[in-house]
Amino acid sequence: MLKCELKKFFSKMTNKLILAVLLLVSVIISFLAVDSMNYSDTGEEFASGTGRITVGRSRTSDKNKWKGRLTPKKIADAVGNYHKLEKADSESVWSDRSVKEEPLYLDILYFAANIYQTESDVVHADLDRLAEEDIEHIYDTYADNLQKVAKEYGETPEQEKLLREQYGKIEIPVTYEAYDSWKTMATYAEMYILILVVVIGFLAAEILGEEFRNHTEQVFFTAKYGRSKAVRNKIITGILTTTIVYWVGIGILSLISFGMMGVSGYDTPYQMEDPYNMYIVTQGQYYLLIVVCGYIASLLSASITMLITSKMHTEKIAVFIPIIMYWVPLIMGNRLSTMTKVFYFLTSALVNIDKGINYMTFFQMGNVVIRLIPFVMVLYAAVFLILLPYVYRSYLGYDSAKHSHRESRKRCRMERKLEERSI
Amino acid sequence: MELRFKNVSKKYGEVFAVNDVSYSMETGVYGLLGVNGAGKTTLMTMLCAVTRPTTGEITWDGNDIFKLGERYRDLLGYLPQNFGFYPDLSVSDYMMYIASIKGIRPAAAKKRLKELLEMVGLSKYRDRKMKALSGGMARRVGIAQAMLNDPKILVLDEPTAGLDPSERIRFRNLISELAADRLVLLSTHIVSDVEFIAEQIILMKAGKFFFTGTSDELIAGMEADVWNCKVFGNKVNEYMQKYPVGNVKHVSGGVELRILSKTPPSENAVREVPALEDAFLLYFGEKAGDEDAEI
Repeated sequence: MLKCELKKFFSKMTNKLILAVLLLVSVIISFLAVDSMNYSDTGEEFASGTGRITVGRSRTSDKNKWKGRLTPKKIADAVGNYHKLEKADSESVWSDRSVKEEPLYLDILYFAANIYQTESDVVHADLDRLAEEDIEHIYDTYADNLQKVAKEYGETPEQEKLLREQYGKIEIPVTYEAYDSWKTMATYAEMYILILVVVIGFLAAEILGEEFRNHTEQVFFTAKYGRSKAVRNKIITGILTTTIVYWVGIGILSLISFGMMGVSGYDTPYQMEDPYNMYIVTQGQYYLLIVVCGYIASLLSASITMLITSKMHTEKIAVFIPIIMYWVPLIMGNRLSTMTKVFYFLTSALVNIDKGINYMTFFQMGNVVIRLIPFVMVLYAAVFLILLPYVYRSYLGYDSAKHSHRESRKRCRMERKLEERSI
Repeated sequence: MELRFKNVSKKYGEVFAVNDVSYSMETGVYGLLGVNGAGKTTLMTMLCAVTRPTTGEITWDGNDIFKLGERYRDLLGYLPQNFGFYPDLSVSDYMMYIASIKGIRPAAAKKRLKELLEMVGLSKYRDRKMKALSGGMARRVGIAQAMLNDPKILVLDEPTAGLDPSERIRFRNLISELAADRLVLLSTHIVSDVEFIAEQIILMKAGKFFFTGTSDELIAGMEADVWNCKVFGNKVNEYMQKYPVGNVKHVSGGVELRILSKTPPSENAVREVPALEDAFLLYFGEKAGDEDAEI
């Protein structure tokens, strides 16, 4: 039965078209991601044409000359090198002349500069204030600052404890490997996920709505399993297609992008980007976190559109729900999040991990403290699971009389009038 | 094997679509006749457990059909009036899908599918997309899907709607073949659909049954005779206002009318053998229609 339901889904012309467009979008986004990595390996010009495809790998390969444990000495070398070049050239580090060498250790410079910068809202740390002689004690400063941050941001003893526990997991000195591909893909994957959640919501709604749209509901509901297994299979098909479409889409995106840019830096800690971040993950794990949250968002999108479709017996309204769930809060959130923390916990948090990972936001109930991302993951995975029985029940609750109540009343009156006239 | 409904009513707001009907059916073909809006489709959806009655109960061998659930639906084959399908599926994929939700194993379903497509004359169209079928062909697929589980109760709502005359004849023969050891309930407002195949006729009007019995009983109970008379063309309207008129046929020198009347409508009137269509005309006050409608 499930096989037949899946066959029905994949034989639909609309679905085929949507999947083809989705495939095309994943290819386009992959190339946009690859193309976003401008780098010149000659020191003279940016790569162009097909040369741009391998640019990510070239950049990573060059940056990996700095690969390994970032000992104070290695950081000091980078800082010394930077100041020497600054002295030699009064122009910006981004000038064409020095474009090849200088960015190679820029990640390390920013890491070092950010260690001295505990305010999370500062976007660019000041590289000029880095002093070679201070670097010798950089990890002592780092350790001290971690304690200070824990105290400052932990609003309750439990939150402070959690922060200390998290910070205790940071390996010092940190190990560096160029992670440009992961960093780039975090942005582009989120962009793609935003498209996926909407498309998946639409596809799932279609699975439950097609009986009503095609007027096949009466044959369906009078079949032996039309009010039991067949409905369960429809819901399972919704979940399965969500899973297939999502992971195949993300798989293609990742395969093309990482295939061209490489996977260097999987184990580089996220703390290279933000030394005081409370999520102790590697760059690769951070990417996985984004796609797993995207998957939860897709499942939630599917379950909600299925529920609305089964309640309303049409998918026309349901298809707009993912836009309201994920896109609208993102647009509004930028302004409103400063006013209320509620916006942090909306469904859109699942597709905005890039931002959410920087929030020092907790959910506390009694002694239990959960950070924002695990909280929304658990919350919305639970909501998805809780909704499934409701989808099932509301689809089963179909009564053709209710469905066509108004229409039937109108028709009935009209027919009676006709009859009376004929009598 | 008995499908019984007792004091069944269905109310839409203030209007009774079906009003306190009671009846019992066993094997054989039952023809449910009524004009558009008589409540036939509402009754059928209730018998198929798609719609719950407002009051009354429907039982199968003494058990409430809504409580029987799957066990009842396993016995059921239903062709709704508005037969919809999945347009992008081929005929065989559509049938396999319906077979799956009817709980038929794939191997058995394939065999049954072959038999049924042969029976409805669609074997060579098995790979054609449903959306590419003509209305008549789609209707035949509808009949085949209703038969997939070899149902004990076959409910066909306006099955000939949209069929051309030859397909209609073919369909009638098909129903006769299928009716051997099952209950076939055939709803229609086309008298010729049931005239020769229905053992029992149920006349429905304004949500109520006002006649149940055989075709002969129905005709015998007519309180009027059937007359054939030839009149001048300018007198046709006069006769039509005075009597229920069935057929109107233009012949040389005038118009031949088939009239229902207790007394001869004219001196040259010749008594005719009454048919079911005449009874329909008498009881419903109009000629058996050919439009598609439901209530």
